[in-house]
Amino acid sequence: MSRVTESALIREETSTLEAIAGVAIGLCALLFALAMAALFEVVTVTDSVAGLPMSNVLGGLLAVVGVVVVGFGAASYRGLVPTEPRASAGAVAATAFSAIWFVVGGLVASQTLGVGLAGGLLGGGLLGGIAFAVTAIPREDVGSTLPAGALALLAGGALLTGVIGPGWSWTPFDLNATFFPPIVVPAVVMFCSLLGGWAAAKAYGGFGARGRHLGAYLLVYLNALAIVAVLVGLVAFVVFKGAPGVFEGVTVAAGAGPSTTVSAFGFSHTVVWPVSWPFLTNGAALMNDVDGVLPAIVGTVWLVVGSVLFAVPLGVGAAVFLSEYAEQGRFTQVVEIATNGLWSTPSIVFGLFGYAFLLPRFGGEKSLLSGMLTLGFMLLPLVVITSREAMLSVPDEYRDASAALGVSKWQTIRSVVLPAALPGVVTGVILGVGRIAGETAPILLTMAGGTFVPGSQTVDVIGGFQFTASPPFVANPALLEATSALPYQVYALVTAGVGGSQLNDPEAFAWGTTLVLLAVVLSFYAVGIVTRYYFRRKLHQ
Amino acid sequence: MSSVTDADPADWRATARRRLTRARDFVDETDRSALAAVSIGSLALLATLVGFLTMSPLTVVPFAAFVVAVGYGWLRHQALTAHAVTLAMTASTILILGLITVYIFLEAWPVFEYASVEVLGVSVPGLRLFTETLWSPVSEPIGYSLVPMIHGTVMVTVIATAVAGPLGVAAALFVSEIAPPTVRELVKPGIEILAGIPSIVYGFIGFTIISPWASDQFALNGQGTYLFVGMVVGLMALPTVVSVAEDALNSVPESMKSGSLALGTTDWQTMTTITFPAAFSGVSAAVLLGVGRAIGETMAATVMLRNSPALPEPLYNAFYGYETLTSLIAARYGTAHGLQFNALFAAGVVLFVTVLFLSVGSQLVEKRMRRELGGEE
Repeated sequence: MSRVTESALIREETSTLEAIAGVAIGLCALLFALAMAALFEVVTVTDSVAGLPMSNVLGGLLAVVGVVVVGFGAASYRGLVPTEPRASAGAVAATAFSAIWFVVGGLVASQTLGVGLAGGLLGGGLLGGIAFAVTAIPREDVGSTLPAGALALLAGGALLTGVIGPGWSWTPFDLNATFFPPIVVPAVVMFCSLLGGWAAAKAYGGFGARGRHLGAYLLVYLNALAIVAVLVGLVAFVVFKGAPGVFEGVTVAAGAGPSTTVSAFGFSHTVVWPVSWPFLTNGAALMNDVDGVLPAIVGTVWLVVGSVLFAVPLGVGAAVFLSEYAEQGRFTQVVEIATNGLWSTPSIVFGLFGYAFLLPRFGGEKSLLSGMLTLGFMLLPLVVITSREAMLSVPDEYRDASAALGVSKWQTIRSVVLPAALPGVVTGVILGVGRIAGETAPILLTMAGGTFVPGSQTVDVIGGFQFTASPPFVANPALLEATSALPYQVYALVTAGVGGSQLNDPEAFAWGTTLVLLAVVLSFYAVGIVTRYYFRRKLHQ
Repeated sequence: MSSVTDADPADWRATARRRLTRARDFVDETDRSALAAVSIGSLALLATLVGFLTMSPLTVVPFAAFVVAVGYGWLRHQALTAHAVTLAMTASTILILGLITVYIFLEAWPVFEYASVEVLGVSVPGLRLFTETLWSPVSEPIGYSLVPMIHGTVMVTVIATAVAGPLGVAAALFVSEIAPPTVRELVKPGIEILAGIPSIVYGFIGFTIISPWASDQFALNGQGTYLFVGMVVGLMALPTVVSVAEDALNSVPESMKSGSLALGTTDWQTMTTITFPAAFSGVSAAVLLGVGRAIGETMAATVMLRNSPALPEPLYNAFYGYETLTSLIAARYGTAHGLQFNALFAAGVVLFVTVLFLSVGSQLVEKRMRRELGGEE
């Protein structure tokens, strides 16, 4: 830290050398992007760019990065650049670098030089030790640039000289798997460019506290960006693949769609919808022009309705008792821990329970009702947790003020606590429903049957109620039949093999189903998140 | 919140007597018809439960009685009925959750008994499930070892944790400490939405895109690798890690951070020396919960793995993926009978106990952190 006091408090304008470090960061970003493109097969590693093989180009750029990083470290060490390095790069960096170089040394010794496992360990240990010493002992400007730059130089050299290039392959040990350049080159380039970019960012910040800050921020920002990119990429990919199937045969014109007849008090009125969307309104059948997923959509809707009807009143009631009536003590704590534990219990365990316990009680066959109850069991802990949290966060002043008016406890709960807790409960339930709507494992075991369901088998719960003379007096065959749901439909398409089926275009059908499932689940999440923002904003006004 | 009332074991008799007196007072003070409604309701509910457990078709009769009793009580004595009904709801919630726990243990018991081994004269049930390595429920020699599946689950979980742990913690730091407010408002819901993508969607993409690609790229025999299942599962566990770790980081008092910043440290120094160490136990609880999610993940593993229980050669070979505990259940529940079916429950018990252990552990760790930070529990 002694050098900090010697240097100026305010850093000067961007110098040429800082600009060089900036260029190195940019180069690393370019390399990373190129390697990413190669990994996703947008560009091919074995192709040639401007007469040179792609891997040589990447290697050359990597070597440039290595030279700049090492050079910057050296220049800083000689005092040519105004920097504020610390005495050492620190134990974390030293450990990381020694681990990286241990792997490099081990692989080079045992595989390239072929001296066997013992030789590999020896080589790895030697290089790892050197890397640790080089990072930890000299001043920070050398310690954090030399190991990173040297790795970039080594990798760049290997790519440039064609040691790793077209035609190269490596079958390690007895893994029965082979590494080829299209994987190895992008992976190596990505790793080295991350490391080089980190070192260059540190250099750009002049090492010291500010350099570490910049280096770390670079990686953290990149990580956040990558997560968002994965999310956007996933959704976009499913939309791209699924849209042709979902929108096949959609027509928008007056009188194009199905007709709905509304009749009440003797009058009846028929509405003809202006949109015809066969994927959402058809089943799957041989004669259909466009096969659709109507039975699965209706199944999912009823599934969600049933499980919410079961779990929400029970869970909210339990939460009212636990947070308002029960003494806050060991009992409520145990219940809280147990409900939290059950919320993280694997869904397949719930499914197994439903399969062995509920099925025999509802006719011994897979049925909509047992699916509803199984998912209801899954939802129950979440409803208890979120409702309890929402009720506990209602300030005690509210209760006291209400009690001071002389009303009973129940009236306070009904007209003060419950309304105040409602936003939290609603948000929690919506997010929970989003999760169970996409859940496959429990309904696979308890409810679903049939891979390609014709439209005539669309479940009709409301019309299914019948009264019978023998107990249990009320029967609803629709509830006791196996039906389909969107997540199960996707699973069934996977296991049936996308190829061998009676559908016109099985692949478009499968991706279309996936897209509809994703749209249904994500709209629950979107609604839940928007509701939360709405209530939060209202609260802060 | 009132303080915890710990009953001294010595005077529990006195407590019981006090309770009894209170109950007698309650009975004396309350309206007869209200008492009748409540007791008929609770008896009817009990009868409903018994009927349901014994699979009686007459279950509907006591249930109807319960509904009538509650309806009458609601109209005439709303406050008391509400109290009683919420109590009944709590009881049934606990009962349902307890039933699930007890039932899977009961169903798993036969195979534990079958696989018991005498160790030093004591019969240890279920030991052979974990000491042998053969899963062969149909053809001789019969074996119900869970070892291949446990190995698969461990492989997938280790890889998933290696993905979700560091990336999740870094993302939590970003969301809670680094990101400017506008970026945070975008990234946070984004990560929540990532949690919402159904596992079967990941599984479908994995099955149709990743598995064939990996098999092709690495010249593997057949499809299904622990490596890529682990990475996909890690992606699924990531949002759990991020949101719980973010809560932990947010619970570090602002005054601690400001104090550090006032000494002239950079943001990053404050994070590494103050915020992160203070929230460390909460962050590790987040990673534990993420591990729990990864262990329980079913569909991606079922769809992407080979579904033939075996140990890979060599044991650390992540390029060949056979079976996990979850995929075993999902793939075999339909064809399993007898002991094999009980063995599936044994797999369920192993999953349940492991995840419960992780969940309770992470909750205790989190509680301790909040206590140490001086905040409310």
